[in-house]
Parts: sequence; C-alpha cells; structure tokens
Amino acid sequence: MAIKFAGAFEVRRTPEDVYDFLTDPNKFAPLLPEFRGVSVEDAQNFTVKVNVGISYIKGVADVKLHLAESDRPKRAQYKGQGSVAGGNVSMVAAFDLALAGEVTRVAWQGEAQVFGRLTSVAGGLLEPLGKKQVQKLIDGLQAALHGETGSTL
Amino acid sequence: MSGNGQKWVGKAVPRKEEERLLRGLGKFADDIKLHETLYLRFVRSPYAHAKIANISTAEAEKIPGVVCTLTGAEIASQTQPFIEIAPDAGGKIRDYPLAVSKVRYQGEPVAAVVAMSAAIADDGAEAVQVDYEALDPVVDAEQALTDASILHEDAGTNKVWNGVFEYGDVEKAFREAASVVEIDRMHFHRFSSTPLENNVVIGQWDPKDERIYYWCNNSFPSFAIQFLAAHLNVHIDRIRVQTFDIGGSFGIKITSYPQMAVCALASKKAGGRPIKWVETRSEHMTSSAHGNERTFRDTRVALDENGVITALTSRHIDDCGAYPRYEPLGCVIWSQVFPGVYRFKNARIDFSQAVTNKCPVGPNRGYSRMQHLWFLERVVDICAHELGIPADEMRLRNYIRPQEFPYTTPNGCVYDSGNYPKMLDLAKGLIGWDAWKKKQAEARKQGRMVGIGIGTTLDSGTNNFGQSQIVNPGAPFSGNSQGANCKLDIYGEVVVAVGSCPQGQGHETTAAQVVADVLNITPDLVTVRTGFDTERNVHTGFSGTYASQFAVSGLSAVHGAAQKLKAEMIRLGAHVLESKPEDLDFGIGGQGPEIRSKSNGKSINYWGLANIVNVNSAVLPPELYEVTLNCRYIWRAPFKVPDIKKKYGNLTMTYASQLHIAVVEVDRDTLIPKILDYVAIDDCGTVINPPIVEGQVYGATAHGIGAALLENCVYDEVGNMLTSTFSDYIPITAMNMPNVKYGHIETPSPHSYSGAKGMGEGGAAPIHTISAALQDALFDKGVFIQDSFNNADSLFRALHGEIGQTAKLVKVERRVGSKA
Repeated sequence: MAIKFAGAFEVRRTPEDVYDFLTDPNKFAPLLPEFRGVSVEDAQNFTVKVNVGISYIKGVADVKLHLAESDRPKRAQYKGQGSVAGGNVSMVAAFDLALAGEVTRVAWQGEAQVFGRLTSVAGGLLEPLGKKQVQKLIDGLQAALHGETGSTL
Repeated sequence: MSGNGQKWVGKAVPRKEEERLLRGLGKFADDIKLHETLYLRFVRSPYAHAKIANISTAEAEKIPGVVCTLTGAEIASQTQPFIEIAPDAGGKIRDYPLAVSKVRYQGEPVAAVVAMSAAIADDGAEAVQVDYEALDPVVDAEQALTDASILHEDAGTNKVWNGVFEYGDVEKAFREAASVVEIDRMHFHRFSSTPLENNVVIGQWDPKDERIYYWCNNSFPSFAIQFLAAHLNVHIDRIRVQTFDIGGSFGIKITSYPQMAVCALASKKAGGRPIKWVETRSEHMTSSAHGNERTFRDTRVALDENGVITALTSRHIDDCGAYPRYEPLGCVIWSQVFPGVYRFKNARIDFSQAVTNKCPVGPNRGYSRMQHLWFLERVVDICAHELGIPADEMRLRNYIRPQEFPYTTPNGCVYDSGNYPKMLDLAKGLIGWDAWKKKQAEARKQGRMVGIGIGTTLDSGTNNFGQSQIVNPGAPFSGNSQGANCKLDIYGEVVVAVGSCPQGQGHETTAAQVVADVLNITPDLVTVRTGFDTERNVHTGFSGTYASQFAVSGLSAVHGAAQKLKAEMIRLGAHVLESKPEDLDFGIGGQGPEIRSKSNGKSINYWGLANIVNVNSAVLPPELYEVTLNCRYIWRAPFKVPDIKKKYGNLTMTYASQLHIAVVEVDRDTLIPKILDYVAIDDCGTVINPPIVEGQVYGATAHGIGAALLENCVYDEVGNMLTSTFSDYIPITAMNMPNVKYGHIETPSPHSYSGAKGMGEGGAAPIHTISAALQDALFDKGVFIQDSFNNADSLFRALHGEIGQTAKLVKVERRVGSKA
C-alpha cells in the first residue's frame, strides 16, 4: 500500500539554514510526530524511535533513516525503513529548496510503502493517518524554522 | 430375530457423530493435552517479496520462558527441500517450511519461537529481528509469466507448468461453424475456505524411540507423511499421524505438512518435548492455503446453426501462489471435467501455471474443476445471450443426453451416469421458472435489474492419480486405493477402522450403515473408529478425506472388509454350529448379533465367535487357524495409466452432478446483489444417507454463494493481503444465506458397488449460477460477467464501463446459415 504526499511552503530563512536544519538529525528528528528519541550513528544515518498508534494497534517503531541525497543547499532526500507490530514501512522523503525572492521555497514530496498485516487490519485508516502525520511534520518544520535563529532574509 | 433383512443404506440414519459434536464433546487436535508441551509461534514476513538480509533471534532467546528458536537456515542444513511434483523447471524449486534466503509471500514464516506458553512464544516472535531488502513483487499470473521478476532463482522462471490439451479437429469445426464467439478475458478469483477450526499441529520427535508423533488435523495424512519422510530424512514408518474430530477442511488442511515439519524439528531441538502450534485466524487467512486463481484468455467458441457448441479454444493461466506444493496437479485435475456437461468434441486448451508473490494455493472444495466449470458455464451463457437463445434452451441443446451414458469425453474420461435435462426440469419446477420469467419482465419494465441464472456442474470423485503423470511423466503415482479393517473385537464388538479422516461428512454413520447391511445387524451395533491413525494399518498412499471420494473409495473398502469378515464368520460358524455354510443366517438374536443355522436351529453370538478366535483358540482345528475375524481390505480403483502423450484416459470414477437456479436482483441504488430465490438439485447416484447428502449440498451451496458474492482474497500491488481478517474477508454465515429449495434425482453409478457417487464438493455450482443470473440482469446494459466474484463495487465498475464491457471484450461472427 503506497501513501504519496507532496506540498510546499515558504519560510523566511536562507536555503542554507533550511538545509542545515533538515540534515541535522538532532533538529529534524524531534519534529517527527510521536517522537520519543533519536540515536545518531553518523552524519547520514540515524534511528528515530516513535510511538505508533493505529486504531487498537499500538507500539513503538524504530525507523532507520538514511540521508540518501545531500546537495547543499538545494536538496535533501531521506530514505527510511521501520517496523511496528503487524507491518513494515519503507519511505522516501525529499526536500527541494529554492530561493524565491525573500523566502526559501521548500517543496517536499515522498512516498511511504506499507507492508504487512497492518494493511489489512488498518488499511482504510493508513492513508488519512499517514497524511495527517506528514502534515504535522511539515507544520512542525515550519514552526521550528520560523523560531530558529539564523540568517533571516 | 431382528435384523431381518432390513437395509440401512439409503435410510436417514441419524448421525452417530451428532451427539458428541452438538454437545461440544468432540475431540479436536487442540483438545490434546500432553505433558511438558511447548508452544510454537511463527515469525512471518510482512513483505511479499524480499531478500532476508539478517535474522537475529538473540533478543527472543533472552526472554524468560523461551526455550529455543528455529530459522530457515537451520532447517535447510538438516533437511531436504520438499518434494516437487512438477517436472523441471518447476521441479527445481526449493521449498522449505521456513524461508531460507528470501521470502515470497506476505505471511511466509521466516523463523519459529518455542516457549513455555503461547503468550511467551508470541512475545518471543515479536522480539526476533529480521532485516529485509524488498524486491519487486509479482501478484498477477500473466505478469509473472513474463519473468520480469523471478520468484525462484533455482527454477529460473515463474512458469511452473505448461501443456496443450487438444482433442478432435478444432480447425475443421471452426471452418464449418455458423457462428464464432470470441471472449477476450475472464477471471476466476482467489478465495479460500474458512473452517471453524484452523490448522493445529502437535509434533514430537521422541528421542527415546527416534519416532515422530503427530496429533493434528491434516486431512490427507498419507500424502503428508510421504512429503515429511523425504524432507526429514526418516523412514516413513517412523512417522505416526493421528487425527481426531476435525472442524472442517474443504481441502485446505491437506497442505499443513510444512508446519508439521517445523513442529517436529522444533521438538528435536527442544529435547523431544511435544510442540503445539495452533494457527490464528489471520495466519490461516494469509498463509495456510488459498484456492487457485485462474485467468482465461483469447477464448474462441464455434457453434453450429442451432447454437450447439462444436469447438472451443482457449488459453488458461493458473496462479498457484508462491510455492507449488500440491501443484501442478491442478494443471490436469480440471481436465477430469474437460467438456463439463456438454457434448462438444473439438477443443484446444493451452494451460499454464505460474508462481506469484501470494499465499500458496491448496486443494480447495471443487479444486481445479470448479474454475474450469465456471469458465464453461460463462461460455455457454455468453454465447446464449449473444445468439439470443434462452439459457435453458441453450443448455438443452448442448447437454450430454441421458441415453449417452456412460459417456466418454474427448479426453477419455468416462462419465458414469446422469440426466441433466431431468435435473433442469426439476429445478425449473421447484423455483417456478415461468412465474419468475413473468416477474422478471415486469421488474425490468420498472427499471429493476433482475436476472435468472442456471449453473450446471460436476463433482468428479475418486481420482486416478495416474493423471499426475500427465503433468510429470516421472511421477510415481497412478490409480487410487483405500483401506479399511473390520473385526470382531475380543468380546465380539464389530469395530471398523478406515483410512479416511472425516471433517463432518458423517463417515462413522455411513460406514456403519454399510457394515450393518452386510452383517444384517443395526448400525448402532457397529463401532467406527473416529479419525485417522497410521498405526491402525488401514491406510494406503492415497488415504485421507478429499476429492469427493469416500462414498466410493472409503465405503468400498469398508464393504470389502465387512465381506471378508462375514466370510470368515461363516467359515467359523459352520464349524461351530455343525452346519453347511449356505444354511447360515446373519441377524440379531436374544443374545445380540449372531449367526444361526437354518438346518439345525443352533446359533452362536458374536461374543462366542470372537471368544473362540481370540481367547479360546485351543478349540480351533488347525484348518481354521487362518481365521482371525480381523479383516483388512484394500480397495483399488480399476484405473489404467492414462496415455501421457495424448493426455487421454479415464481420470475419475464417478461424476455427481448439480444443477442450481438463482434469481438475483441488483439493487438500483446500492448495486448490492441480492438472491431472491434459489434452487439446488443434486444427483450423487444412490444416496447412502439422505440427510447427510442434503447437509453437504447446503454446505457446498453456502460456500459457493459466499465465494460468488462475499469472499475474495484481495492483494494490493505490492502483495499485501488486504483481507486477512473476517472484517474484510467476509465468510458467509446463516445471516447471508437465502432459503435454498433442495431437490435430488438418483442416477446410480455403474462404477461403484453401491451405485453411489462421491459428493460434497458440489462443483461450486452457486458461483456459476450467480454469475449467470447477474449477467442475465445486466446484459442489456452492455455488461457481461467476466469475473467469478461480484459485489457492489465490481458491479459499479462494470456499469460504469471499467470492466466487463461486452462491446469491447466479446466479438460475434455470424456466418451464412446461422439460425441463432
């Protein structure tokens, strides 16, 4: 089951600031919905622990994230894989940054592929829930970037 | 003296099993409690197709109460892959009970955890860490045949089997046809059985005697032990299998031998303690076995000027899921009913089978034949609609005629008996055909979508396993056999054992009826052992309960054993009673069942006879030493090995037939199909026990209605099974069942001693019938029913032009001279 998401927002930061934020696991990971902790292996790899709750299926998921593409300050792409009771998730999320006058335009897109029994027992909920969580992440990202001290355009 | 010649076969004898089963006193595999039992849980793949990068069981093994774990790599190091029935390339597939280096369907077991309790085993299974590298899944059989993504690298192709079945002069028939109908694509969906009792295995590899013991509910144990012995590298006599009451199988429990292997190996690792595995419902739905899915492509039908089918060509692609297991037997078993109930002689069917990233298939009620019979019924209805011939008339023009029985089909099968026109008459009468036709016309004027459909089908029973040589000339199987034992126990009790393992079919009752008739006693005086046990020594390599055969193979074996016992009793009785054998009568006297001499009035009861043989044998003269009153009989079906090259020969002993009629309305607002009226007619030859037959007809009808309208194994594009719970896979219940009007005729089989034919599978008649009724309801809207599963969603898509468009998918060529 594939869940696709995409959107864009603008923030009054330089692309370099936004890029640095996005590629810093200690800043980016806590924005993930239901964040519980992060374990950083190196600059490209970290594991995030998040609470997962879909209907009556509740548990903690370890999501391994890998910074697959890093083209400062234009693009960052994460690839990840995680497991939770009843299923596995593979995901790709990319952020394309572009200066647009006085703001940086952040275009984000991605796809989460869900595997396992989870798709049967919670299949109908997954897509709306996934999109809601992604929106939470983006909202958190915007809020954090607005509050972040750095080079304001 | 009672037992005065009254015959019990054919009587509505109450089921001997009823009392204990209805009172909850049945003994099922999970009821077996053994000392020091451990519990097993499988770790299952969430992916449909992935490499196993790493498995770590360390965390699981740290959990208190976890005894051991088992992985595919461990199993592969100490066993052989399971036997493959297919020739190469399918024969090169390496199938182990736990995935070794990659997974091939969602739900495939990759590891097992053994613990002190089921709950601890659950926790342990969750603690096993498996790293996967996802691969491209293949969930469509036609796509699989392109080999774009290979499931089994050892085979090098996803094609398990291919063969062309061609008979008669197809080209000539098409040249001379008055009409030719072409159908682009039809599809028989994947569904399964949902027995009340899931699979259960208790396995023990006992180090004290190096034997493997199973207490389980496998429904074809003699097949299972052949696979297990080769896989586990043990002598087959070292495997003992016992079954007890079984809560339904419908064929699905035939393929539980991989789980049986894991339980034995886990027991060996755990020091010989018994290992119990009780399957959960969602495990059953995702990973036990499903029925075969089949796609029918490029079908061409030649018809004469009267709408009689003269030839047919088609390309069929069967989807057997991730591992063939019982396959590719399904690639030939459909040909038991090659022409269905119709007379056409010229046909060519190109049949292929492919593996896909879905649950392996297993024989499911109506196995392999129902897909083909559905296809033929679709062909008949589509041709009828296109040519403007009423459905009943179309069938009457094409049915095999009653006077043509025994009827040899184009591929050499011999249909024993039948009378399809009579069944149609009876069904039309029961449903009120003419009245419904009027109501249908009135409803259509109101814009309502009401259809009337006929489904005629066959339930071929008692296979000739020689057909396996058609799919693999090296297969060491042919014929069919069944064993039974009939004895007088030490105190003279009549005890019968048979190599079947009933799952609700009433074998204890019908076997007792047969023996009662032979000995002229009452069925309550006959004890029939429950379940199956290799130690009873009444099984052959074909023993089990499957393929609608007990009435022929099982009861023939019981009948033979009872005849042998009777002959010994006569011999002993003649000596004891000082009478000529021909003067002896069997019956019931003042001291129970006895033999009495008509010439001198002397009698001896069964206790007396058994006493002499078993505990008082010094009174026996030497010439009677061979009398044991413990008589084993192996019944063998009189089959020959088919002509493998021509794919020709008799593949089945008996052909029960079913004819159903359904009236279905598609709701105009919701498009939910609703059955307004339903008739089921059955002909299984001589009926042994009418209520048992009627009950199985209702069961098969319910199963078929569920399959037609509710039950569908749905996979998404990456191989997730979306219907792994009863919330999504909606099994039929009494709430969804219409009232079924039941009728029957009897055309006794000349191929069985009693005239009975195997029955119970039912030929999936409701699927054919409901498809026909829906097409009748929707044909004038440009829709033809191209799938065997139809619900509101699929009908919505059909009515909105997404699927089933007659104009796009069906072509008709009418030539000069066509009256139709």
